[in-house]
Amino acid sequence: MTGRIRNPWVVVAAYNEAPVVGTVVSGIRRAGYAVVVVDDGSGDRTGDVALLAGAVVVRHPINLGQGAALQTGIDYALEQRADALVTFDADGQHSPAAIAALLAAIEQPGIDFALGSRFLTGATANLPVSRRILLSAALWFTRASTGLPVTDTHNGLRAMTARGARAIYLRQNRMAHASEILHQIAQSSLRFVEVPVNIEYSAYSLGKGQRITDALTILIDLFARRLYR
Amino acid sequence: MIAQLLLTAFLALVLVYAWSAHRTVPIIGLLAGGAALAGLYFVWVPEHATALAAFAGIGRGSDLIVYTWVVISLLIMLNLHIKLRLQLDMITRLARAVAIDRAKGMLGQRPRRPRSNCRRRSRCHCQVAPGLGVTRRARDDWRRSGRTGGQIA
Repeated sequence: MTGRIRNPWVVVAAYNEAPVVGTVVSGIRRAGYAVVVVDDGSGDRTGDVALLAGAVVVRHPINLGQGAALQTGIDYALEQRADALVTFDADGQHSPAAIAALLAAIEQPGIDFALGSRFLTGATANLPVSRRILLSAALWFTRASTGLPVTDTHNGLRAMTARGARAIYLRQNRMAHASEILHQIAQSSLRFVEVPVNIEYSAYSLGKGQRITDALTILIDLFARRLYR
Repeated sequence: MIAQLLLTAFLALVLVYAWSAHRTVPIIGLLAGGAALAGLYFVWVPEHATALAAFAGIGRGSDLIVYTWVVISLLIMLNLHIKLRLQLDMITRLARAVAIDRAKGMLGQRPRRPRSNCRRRSRCHCQVAPGLGVTRRARDDWRRSGRTGGQIA
């Protein structure tokens, strides 16, 4: 780590990811980063495996959802005086090599968020057509509702400075948090950049990914959220 | 007259509900209050309800009142849904605080590492769990002790 970032933390939200979370944590640890895994009430040994692989494990007593788990991890990392945070998926589709690129992006003066984009450059392996269509629809909705000129949405790879992390607070417990982050970035007026990242889809990660029906749930969540204070 | 009094009592209750809902969910309070006031007006001036119903193509004024009641019921259901979400918010904050406090309490406490030169291998319970590098006994002790956070080197 060079420059102004001295204490970066990687936040991994995990729910029933015991088969892969150990490898994911080991990769992040080998790359030299502190990692907090939020075990979101898993029914398997996700927390134990992550702990043994070298992560700090924060365990939700009940399953709350990925958004809630990420916010818990962000809160925990900020309490550990993290000056930069990276959110990272637990299903093994992200590469630890991308962390350095994301952190380098937020080391630029005035930049508080680096958003991973799988559509900027480079190939994203094994992206199915149905997933591409779903992501295109989500991208259109996000651009229309936030005004942010992003090229990717619902990408779990992001980095933020501590100031950026304090500017957002996820209240969407489940998958709608990805849109909520972008809304809050837009409202915060903090600057962001997009960084090309490669996503390695596997049968395992595709099985865990979002479906068309989830998109409807996300829209309902976002609408309901706007009705109350 | 009896029906009018009963409906008035019910709609007055809805007005009170709308007032209380207005503090947490303004849009629901406003809509429910408006619908209740409209209902009260049509209960006591039914000829206007009939005229408005005819204008809207509903037919009878009593049908209009029934539809108004259905709208009020839907708004109350929506409000209940939102209240459930607010309760989920509170549960989330509580679970988060508990999880982080536990993890902070466990920092620095480490599970026992396996002894690589165990000489009682035949009767020993210190088998290394496959791929984990830590003894099964250490892991089970760790789990039984109720520790939920921490970090191992």
